[in-house]
Amino acid sequence: MQEHETLAGGCQCGAVRFETKLIGRASICHCRMCQKAFGSFFGPLVTSHDGRWTRGEPKWFQSSNRARRAFCAECGTPLAYQTKYGLELAIGAFDHPTRVAPVIQVNLTDKLPFFDTLHTLPARDDPDDEWLDFMAGIHSNQHPDHDTEDWPLEGDGTDG
Amino acid sequence: MADPVEMTGGCQCGAVRYKAMILPETSHICHCRMCQKAVGNYFAALVSARNDTVVWTRGAPAVFMSSDPVRRGFCSTCGTPLFYKTVKGKHTAFTIGSLDQPERVKPRTQEGVEARMTWFHDIVDVPDSGTTEVEMADRVAEIAASNHQHPDHDTDHWP
Repeated sequence: MQEHETLAGGCQCGAVRFETKLIGRASICHCRMCQKAFGSFFGPLVTSHDGRWTRGEPKWFQSSNRARRAFCAECGTPLAYQTKYGLELAIGAFDHPTRVAPVIQVNLTDKLPFFDTLHTLPARDDPDDEWLDFMAGIHSNQHPDHDTEDWPLEGDGTDG
Repeated sequence: MADPVEMTGGCQCGAVRYKAMILPETSHICHCRMCQKAVGNYFAALVSARNDTVVWTRGAPAVFMSSDPVRRGFCSTCGTPLFYKTVKGKHTAFTIGSLDQPERVKPRTQEGVEARMTWFHDIVDVPDSGTTEVEMADRVAEIAASNHQHPDHDTDHWP
């Protein structure tokens, strides 16, 4: 267990926010239930010993009799996984996920065959004019990566 | 461009199911901060289908307008992120993990690399702790017996 400065986070729309100071090991879980719950190749989760909801409350889905999973009912962001062993928070939902680097991979049975080559994928960094025009017109409804006193703010177009 | 392939998928609880003609060569991961946040992950894994091939075979997704031109779909019952699409575009980009067989669409490219985790290149070398069956042997049987996740194929009735 590590005591950090306060780490905050929340869902994409900002209806649900959380904070924690005491976190355990950060993991990548390859199990099919985490894949499905996150709609991704794996679930990135970190144990939180003191996590609390600082704005709103998540909705829970009982994914088995032993586990339940939290998400924002307004925008769908996966937020947490909980068993009798404790609460784990979704790392991508932290305001600064780079501070929660994974240290272990678990449940390798369902690991996708292309996982080990992810870091070698070519990066597309030559956007065409149509894409640049699209991006230039974006007014984001995503909550900024810090706590806010009031949300949403009228006309706030943060984060591109 | 390779031929589209019909694939099925849906959310964890099974309230929302879809089928679509998936374009495997569009498979990619996106590191942008909006995708990260929307899926609660280090990146989003997405693969597209033309909108006119998308059929919601059970239920319907909830939609969050993450910006004026973008819609993100999810299940309002269990929260699984399901898609990204632009208002004017002709395609729906499904989350690959929501496909019944995600291993069929190996990602081809990375996008949004401005927000890529600084340690992303080390991610495949993170130590592993073995299989679910070994690491959680005492819990696997009970979880399997009470698993509320929809199976990875269509069903006539659920739950």
